[in-house]
Amino acid sequence: MAETVDIHALAGAYALDAVDDLERAAFDRHLRSCESCALEVAELKATVAWLTHPVAEPAPAGLRAAVLAEVARTPQERAKRSASSTPSTVPNRWRRWTAAAVAASILGVGVGAGTWTISEQRLKAERVANAQFQSVLSAPDARLVKGQMAGGEVSLVVSPSRDAAVVVLSGLSAPPPDHVYQLWMVGGGYQTPHPVDDLGFGKGDGRQYIDGLNGATRFAVSDEDHEGATAPHTPLVGYIDLP
Amino acid sequence: MRSSEDPTQPIPIAAPQPRVDVDDLLIRVGRGDEQAFTALYDQVSARVFGLIKRVLRDPAQAEEVAQEVMVDVWRTAARFDRTKGSATAWVFTIAHRRAVDRVRSEQAGADRVRRVAARSAETPFDDVVETATARIEQQQVRRCLGGLTDLQREAITLAYYGGRSYREVAEMLDTALPTIKTRMRDGLIRMRDCLGVTV
Repeated sequence: MAETVDIHALAGAYALDAVDDLERAAFDRHLRSCESCALEVAELKATVAWLTHPVAEPAPAGLRAAVLAEVARTPQERAKRSASSTPSTVPNRWRRWTAAAVAASILGVGVGAGTWTISEQRLKAERVANAQFQSVLSAPDARLVKGQMAGGEVSLVVSPSRDAAVVVLSGLSAPPPDHVYQLWMVGGGYQTPHPVDDLGFGKGDGRQYIDGLNGATRFAVSDEDHEGATAPHTPLVGYIDLP
Repeated sequence: MRSSEDPTQPIPIAAPQPRVDVDDLLIRVGRGDEQAFTALYDQVSARVFGLIKRVLRDPAQAEEVAQEVMVDVWRTAARFDRTKGSATAWVFTIAHRRAVDRVRSEQAGADRVRRVAARSAETPFDDVVETATARIEQQQVRRCLGGLTDLQREAITLAYYGGRSYREVAEMLDTALPTIKTRMRDGLIRMRDCLGVTV
């Protein structure tokens, strides 16, 4: 069912700025390892820049003075991208990196490969989820925590201001076909572990939007032999402490 | 809409292009040169403002966002990497992104649905033709847009001037996603060849 999409197919939409944040992050990532793609995208972006000609109109007279005045009192970012970059750039870089990491997990981008595989169907079905994900990823207070469990990686992006989190589980060794990995939020306002959702029978990969943090201090995964468990089976598959 | 001449061929009369090298200006801005910034502003502000106004359709907000964009250009100019594209493309990417962000942040909930529906009835290209003046670049863009198929042209103008994602464009044009992506790309490639764009 999944269609194989040549990454070039997205080059036009990317150049037109008509992709979402996750796709942009994934495409950016790919561009870093694909010279011919980078050249094509540079050309297409230069072409898109031409599209501004027909809509050009003189900016309001006051704008020039306002911009120059603000520029005169605005410090510039340092040229080098180093660990000691200015504080104002940290949230942006943080978000970009987070989005890239999550996008790579979600979209299954093969780094260095000439193509990537996306199920169009799946992407379409996940549009609503993407909007929720983006609201978390773009939050100024978004924090990323990562952990290992069951041979795979779990990434959580937590945003107190959005009162939500996004979790991406990738490469966990799959449970038996009649078992499910159940996700839990633990601690804080939760007297007992609070079930979030499960990954589906026999699945070791997935992602979830977690609506409501309730001060939880820990994210946990358990292995259950049925759906809808009300208490986690122990020992847990693993857990991650939240920031 | 098409003229009898082949619209995919570069215009025969070479456009006189007494152009300042915007790449050089932006590189100087990246080193903190305020004079270069002023020159850069004069080179790009009409296109920055016009683009943002087109996407937002609100002159007051467009002015506000244009100011944010130009200050952002100043602040982050050192990030510009000539090997990855032209300075104008870099500036307009920031402008477009900011404009779209503004549109999206405003169009929450049901209001958004209404406005999407209302806007989908519009034909941006006709507006473009209307506002185009005699300037050679504008003529070239018009001519090259005219050389696209209707679907290529609509996909490109809805995305860029309408600030739509390719998914929204696919829905608005009732066309499959892979088709829209392909039309955006091959439409831009045709535009590129028509305009003689190189990097």
